Amino acid sequence: MNWFYAKNGSQQGPLSTDEIKNRIAMGEIGPSDLAWREGMSDWMPVGQISELKAAPAASASPEATPSFPTASSAASPYQAPSAAPSPVQMAPGQVIPSYLWQSIVVTLFCCLPAGIASIVYAAKVEGLKASGNFAAAKEASDNAKKWAIISLVLGLVINLIVFAVSFTGALQGVQPQ
Amino acid sequence: MRHGRWALLVAVILLCGVAAFWLYQRGPALDGMTAGCVFQKTTGLHCPGCGMTRATYALMHGDVGAAFRFNPVGLVLFPVALALTGLEAVAWARRKPWPVRLVPGPRIAWALVFLVVGFWILRNLPWWPFTLLAPP
Repeated sequence: MNWFYAKNGSQQGPLSTDEIKNRIAMGEIGPSDLAWREGMSDWMPVGQISELKAAPAASASPEATPSFPTASSAASPYQAPSAAPSPVQMAPGQVIPSYLWQSIVVTLFCCLPAGIASIVYAAKVEGLKASGNFAAAKEASDNAKKWAIISLVLGLVINLIVFAVSFTGALQGVQPQ
Repeated sequence: MRHGRWALLVAVILLCGVAAFWLYQRGPALDGMTAGCVFQKTTGLHCPGCGMTRATYALMHGDVGAAFRFNPVGLVLFPVALALTGLEAVAWARRKPWPVRLVPGPRIAWALVFLVVGFWILRNLPWWPFTLLAPP
């Protein structure tokens, strides 16, 4: 497993899981520093990544902790407090993209009201994320993506049709002469 | 398909490059080869993106004033949105997000909504000074 981490604005890595755990244990990487490995969709604070939470004793003898969930929650007092069950369980490192910049690009590029719908949904994603309503944010994110794609495809198709029509028209106009 | 995303990204960039060169050489809609703004043609109203092609053409030929005149909001907003979309596209292609990223937050996001929609409405008003917002 290749881990990367960001400290003071510079990116370090790749490191194996054991290496990065060692650096965390030595205090070289703090719980608020960001880390990422392939498969995670975004960088997360080290303190929130469950894979990196094993106590130093556990990394020395992995087979010594057979019942991981209960043992670790009891053994590690610095574990993040488990929040009240939210409607949507977020996978580690999962982010909800708002597609705000993409929707602005397609709106200015394609001139379609569908682009405006996409921007509005993108803004809703940001607001819902800020208020912690992740289920609604995910829904708005999907809608923003959908409308951005509709706007882009419609814009391209319409332009291709006009291009084809004017091109064949130009050919027919030339032929009689 | 390890390099599928990179291939797609490079293809899109090349296509945009060809389109940009075409625009630089031929100028916007001089030979009726582009649709122009379909929204404008069907409704007679200006959309938020109207004038962007002419603005880009003017900018390519160093006329910043004319570019600003064709679409003042787009001239500022489009490069920012395009650059940030490009950054996200590269992160998507290499399957690894950037550790530092510009997250707009709800206030800026809604401000952008009001900016674009407000610009759309205002540039269709028939009175000075709003007529300055419409492309000449």
